[in-house]
Amino acid sequence: MIEIKGVSKAFPGRKGSEPVQALKDVDLIVRDNEFLTVLGPSGCGKTTLLRVIAGLVPHDTGTVLVDGKPVTGPGPERAMVFQSFALMPWDNVLTNVAFGLEMQGVDKKTRELKALELIEMVGLGGFEKRLPGELSGGMQQRVGLARALAVSPKVLLMDEPFGALDEQTRRLLQEELLRIWEATRTTVVFITHSMEEAVLLGDRVVLMRPRPGRIDQILDIPMTRPRSTHLDSVESSGEFTAMVGLLWNNLRAMHSDVRRARQAGQAAATKP
Amino acid sequence: MATVAPTPARVASPGFISRLEAWPTVTSFIVLVGGWELIGRSLNQPFFPPLSSVLNELAINQAEIMAALGTSLTNLVLGFIVSVVFGVGLGLLMGAFRKLDAALDIYINALLTAPSLVFAPIFFAIWGLERWSIVAVIFMYSTWIMVVNTVTAVRTVSPEMLEMGRAFNAPRIKTWTRIVLPAATPLIMAGIRLATGRAVKGMLNGEMFIAIVGLGKLVKDGSGRFDASLVLAILVVIIVVAFIALWVVGWVDARLTRWLPKTSR
Ligand SMILES: Nc1ncnc2c1ncn2[C@@H]1O[C@H](COP(=O)(O)OP(=O)(O)OP(=O)(O)O)[C@@H](O)[C@H]1O
Ligand SMILES: [Mg+2]
Repeated sequence: MIEIKGVSKAFPGRKGSEPVQALKDVDLIVRDNEFLTVLGPSGCGKTTLLRVIAGLVPHDTGTVLVDGKPVTGPGPERAMVFQSFALMPWDNVLTNVAFGLEMQGVDKKTRELKALELIEMVGLGGFEKRLPGELSGGMQQRVGLARALAVSPKVLLMDEPFGALDEQTRRLLQEELLRIWEATRTTVVFITHSMEEAVLLGDRVVLMRPRPGRIDQILDIPMTRPRSTHLDSVESSGEFTAMVGLLWNNLRAMHSDVRRARQAGQAAATKP
Repeated sequence: MATVAPTPARVASPGFISRLEAWPTVTSFIVLVGGWELIGRSLNQPFFPPLSSVLNELAINQAEIMAALGTSLTNLVLGFIVSVVFGVGLGLLMGAFRKLDAALDIYINALLTAPSLVFAPIFFAIWGLERWSIVAVIFMYSTWIMVVNTVTAVRTVSPEMLEMGRAFNAPRIKTWTRIVLPAATPLIMAGIRLATGRAVKGMLNGEMFIAIVGLGKLVKDGSGRFDASLVLAILVVIIVVAFIALWVVGWVDARLTRWLPKTSR
């Protein structure tokens, strides 16, 4: 379980400008074995929230607990999947997937055995000797996923993992991820820009709003599991459509709030 | 596996000219060699002998040139190895420790731009006509560009890769051996390539102006006697040496950076 209580995080602004409040008073509980998706306009602090959970950036106030232990830095029970894949281009697929275990000091034989198992699981069997540069974007992100899963994390942190992929590849990977998740039930925090993706994959959607970055609301997604076997009918269901509609209404309201606030700010600035 | 296309898209018509068009390097070489010979013959001046008499000179002085070449190559290899170890080593340290970089950066840049030969009298004073004077000159010529390139190489490792390392709990040493060094290798090797040419220059200048030995001595002797054929003959030898040195470095580079996409070579 991840418990986030009263977490704020500000980044120093560029010279002369005010600090950016990337997160303000964020409270959130991520349940065990839950697939949580996080949605919100650009700049609302989604990545920052994920990096705080990962222990990659320190938060200013509040507490972040993973299974009751405060987060002070990265830990082996949390693993990341990056939007830009972040694979090591000089190492083959096998070595890339085994990287997390290598960093934990697991011996070569054991970690390669485990890596092979995961390469198989993400559907890349036979590609273990290839370099990342020889793979398509979709295959590269499969490597990224396998690398994260290889350390057997309790929590999988994914920052727009399919954002850089084309529509069809993204769809295949969503299916693959759901299939794997349904088999492993690892806790997942999944950031996305896509309302459809958030609904299709998640148990709950966290909707965030910007300036300062905070949680707007958390919505339960009603569709039953497993979904990976019949994604198409899930997507054409009334529940799915209603859910996406609801999210869109909220996001649209958020966008017009932001616009109104900006106009009010400009009006105030031009008044004598 | 890619299938081999049965016919190339642009079929060269058989014939000498079109074959030359397909090999720009060979063509330019033939033009250069032929031009040299022709201009040399038609000028008929001692200061610009045709290629044939230069090659003739090379053959006549073969024994002497080979001995000089041995001396020069030893200087070059010694100087270059010391230079690579020190230059890349210091560059890595400066890349790792910002304070060290801040402290040394300006001096490294000064040394990079200063004409390296101005230090020759100092080396001469220390080592006299010994080999180490020349090794030191080669060092001054080739080291600093490697330091500068290596620092940049370390500094430009993508922050994403470093964050990936952190996210997977990479210890500091592993971050260096598994991420920073491989990522920095292409730029470091580019620095070593640049340094290779400078080292050859340093070798010749060192031999010509301090300890008069090796190929540098022959060049100096030849120009003293206004023997253009000998000077040009040595020049040909030096060019060959430079090519071989660059080829060796290029070979090492290609092995170390095989993972680079073909388009970025
Ligand atoms: N390292 C940093 N230094 C300074 N400001 C930062 C830093 N990281 C994020 N910010 C700022 O904090 C705010 C939130 O950024 P964050 O990347 O978390 O947003 P996001 O929701 O992930 O946006 P996107 O959807 O575009 O990825 C933004 O205004 C951003 O400019
Ligand atoms: Mg982001």
